[in-house]
Amino acid sequence: MRAAEIAIPCGAALLLLYALVKKVNVYKAFVDGAKDALPQLVSILPYLAAMLTAIETVRASGLTDLLVRVLRAPAERAGLEPELIPLIVLRPFSGSGSLALLREILTQHGADSGIGRAASVLVGSTETVFYTVALYFGSVGVTKTRHAIPASLIAGAVGAAVGILLVRIM
Amino acid sequence: MTAAGIIAFAVKGDGAGALAAMTRGCENAITITFELAGPYLLWSGLMRTADEAGLVDKLARAMRKPLSRLMPDAPQAAAPVTLNLAANFFGLGNAATPFGLEAMRKLDRCDGRASDSMAMFIALNSSAIELLPTSVIAIRTACGSAAPYSIVVPTFLASAAAAAAAVVSCRLLGRIVK
Repeated sequence: MRAAEIAIPCGAALLLLYALVKKVNVYKAFVDGAKDALPQLVSILPYLAAMLTAIETVRASGLTDLLVRVLRAPAERAGLEPELIPLIVLRPFSGSGSLALLREILTQHGADSGIGRAASVLVGSTETVFYTVALYFGSVGVTKTRHAIPASLIAGAVGAAVGILLVRIM
Repeated sequence: MTAAGIIAFAVKGDGAGALAAMTRGCENAITITFELAGPYLLWSGLMRTADEAGLVDKLARAMRKPLSRLMPDAPQAAAPVTLNLAANFFGLGNAATPFGLEAMRKLDRCDGRASDSMAMFIALNSSAIELLPTSVIAIRTACGSAAPYSIVVPTFLASAAAAAAAVVSCRLLGRIVK
């Protein structure tokens, strides 16, 4: 980790020096770039607000809990630990929420238990899909997202399944 | 989604809870935007500097060929896409987002529809390929794991499987969903 921590600032320094050698007006270029970023940030905000309102309402209303309860029986029949189901359901919606849930599972079952390791791999190999979609598509005003969400969820499901299986055999 | 949540609240007879949840969602949006603002300004500034020094062009030319297989109609976004995936790979989420937004801008055709390349980019992002899942390792250490790094290899393999699934499902679904 040490090496990575120092590599990025050094890279930035090298970049600035290289730009100086190339006779770029570094200060002006940086300011121009940052200026571009501002309206971009403002334009993202309403999309994020809409998506996060939806996510928070669904989560707080207990709909995700309902989904967990519906999924429990078939998942258990497939041999999945019931403790992992809430994590799988929550993961695409909330990054901080699934990290908190991971901490809970690790404290309860032990970080090196089978469930603890499976939960860790699950969180590490998947992404908060709905947040990414809202942010990236929102930034360019795309509302017809076509197959982006289903494809992302399929990728997440495959990642989760492979992760859980790998933990069992490794 | 919001409506479904509100109806579920109504069924429980908890109107105040619904309003509180909706407000919390918008507050989250503000918090995230502010958290994003600093790194976004920094990396946009550095990116423009690299651009004017000709570095972005060099990277784009090097990556155009390999990326064109995944995203055939997007040679113009080769540089930010590469930087986004690389930043994600090294666990620099803060830096990855500005590059990702830049990539989306380059991919945008201003018609409000996601192109095949956009969907592929989003799906690849969702597979979360990372060298070291630092936040998970930190939590494992905090929870007293004897081997916090033991999950690195299975996590990496699972992510790789997810990435492969992302490519395949994007290809197939892209043909069905117009």
